[in-house]
Amino acid sequence: MRFGLFFEMSVPRPFGPGVEPAVFLNALEQARLADELGFDWVWAVEHHFLEEYSHCSAPEVVLAAIAAQTRRIRVGHGAVVCVPEMNHPVRVAERAATLDILSQGRLELGTARSSTWTELGGFGANPDDTKKTWDEFVRVLPRLWGDEPVRYEGRCFSLPERNVLPKPVQKPHPPLWVTVTSPGTELDAAERGLGCLGVAAAGYAEQERRTREYHRRIQLCDPVGAVVNDRVTTLNFLYCHENRGVATERGMRMLGLFGLANSHLLWTREAYPTRAYQSLGNLAPAAASDAGNPGAARDAPEGICIGDPQQITRAIERWQSIGVDGINFLVNAMETLPQTEVLESLRLFAQEVMPKFQGVI
Amino acid sequence: MLVGTADLDALAAKAPRLPAFCTDTVSLARVEVFQAGFEMLAASREPLLPSGLHPTNPATLIVLAWRCAESPWGPFSLVQLRIGCRSGLRTRGFVWAAACDSPAVARELAARWGVPARLAHISVSRRYDGCSLAVRIGDATTLAIEAQDPDPLAPDDVQFTGTLTLAHTPHGLRLVQLEPRTQLERAERLRPRLERFDAAVWGHEALTPYYPVSASIGVGSIEIPPVRFVCRPDVLAFQGTESVGAAG
Repeated sequence: MRFGLFFEMSVPRPFGPGVEPAVFLNALEQARLADELGFDWVWAVEHHFLEEYSHCSAPEVVLAAIAAQTRRIRVGHGAVVCVPEMNHPVRVAERAATLDILSQGRLELGTARSSTWTELGGFGANPDDTKKTWDEFVRVLPRLWGDEPVRYEGRCFSLPERNVLPKPVQKPHPPLWVTVTSPGTELDAAERGLGCLGVAAAGYAEQERRTREYHRRIQLCDPVGAVVNDRVTTLNFLYCHENRGVATERGMRMLGLFGLANSHLLWTREAYPTRAYQSLGNLAPAAASDAGNPGAARDAPEGICIGDPQQITRAIERWQSIGVDGINFLVNAMETLPQTEVLESLRLFAQEVMPKFQGVI
Repeated sequence: MLVGTADLDALAAKAPRLPAFCTDTVSLARVEVFQAGFEMLAASREPLLPSGLHPTNPATLIVLAWRCAESPWGPFSLVQLRIGCRSGLRTRGFVWAAACDSPAVARELAARWGVPARLAHISVSRRYDGCSLAVRIGDATTLAIEAQDPDPLAPDDVQFTGTLTLAHTPHGLRLVQLEPRTQLERAERLRPRLERFDAAVWGHEALTPYYPVSASIGVGSIEIPPVRFVCRPDVLAFQGTESVGAAG
């Protein structure tokens, strides 16, 4: 079982001087500590225009800073939005290879297609096309890294013969992942030999079903790259404290605020009717859209890692038992938790929980 | 998080009066449902919503039109101007203004559900190459939308968010949550273009639809069940939600 941090860079209002920088600098400090404590990954998302929820629009810059300040932890570009209006495939390949060099071969590359109208509309992207462009990106990226030179004629872009530089140091290329929000995307991942970077809060039973199906399908995959990445990770929240009551009070406040910000995003399907986006959102797809009681809070997702070390250990054991290879944690949201508490939570988790899972991969 | 900053007294002054919460389910049949969404300027995010609601980013104005052939009160057309918002965690459209072409139906809509419908001439015209919506109040066309290039969709690809109206209810001034169930038999997506929009007539200069997002048209039926929840307009839904009628 592997563990990672997952940075959204959520920023609380009001956006006064110093507020955004504090979020980024706190994240860097968390990444440095995670590196020392033995965490395996640190991921940074790519989002645009999502006020409060995520100010992480240039993750490659964040990850370059993290790579420079750490020695061992792997840096997850998670995930690059594979929509040409946002990122040209050649630029993705160039930036990723540069990050792989600067991190000395520690890059993991996630791929995604964006879920909100705020982002897609902002770049003038057609939501109907994002599945297609994502598919084209993931097939062409390994070629852009590996072929010298490469020539490509495709649907969303074409490239006359050029040598895309630099080349990644990991050979044949960095591991590729896809973020999994909607049910069914895990099958897209499996069929292409891509790792399953879970970003939705699925319960145990649903995750077990998805993981089982993913592992079954990936046996028959037609890999887009030169290597198959067959790992499955899930997204979780982490707040670890010796006192269960304190952990619950502080951790659930963080989770609640993040969930509230998440539910306020303008999802693509809400603004633009399309077959290409079948679910609303990524944390609790049904809850945001249903009729129901608007005064009701959302139930905490199953298996959440908020509690004392024993509670968290039990939750992780359960995730492990259903075939999950790694868990990425959101450790703060909108700076709800003071930085000292976040760092203490990470230390306690590393001291009391992580050793129980060391060597279990 | 952003919350609305609308002048509640001004909103209250134009809010309909609900003598009682509607306890029966109303069925509408053979309804043409046209919906068009527009982004509004960032300055529009907060001034159009009461402080109990959160705006979306970007601010959105959704024009929803029903041309109903069969209802308990006979045929009618209704146009709602809805501000995209969130009530607690829930996706909602706050009915800023509405227009109806039948005085009797307008009275029913106001008294049953707090829909602030004013009388207007409404035309919904559907063609093979597009459709158009026009609302005329008095001699002036105050809203006109042209939508082109219909593209067939599965009926359940079109999403209709829940509705909030503001009304003087037996509980006081409240946001009334309506939960219409729209069942389309067929649906198409179109590219909308705003031909005419008179913000002053519709009641606020912050109504600034400037960027067309999408439109859809479908045919089907609508059921409006009894009201279950109302919310205080001045506090967030987590604190200000009250159960009534079927949920009470």
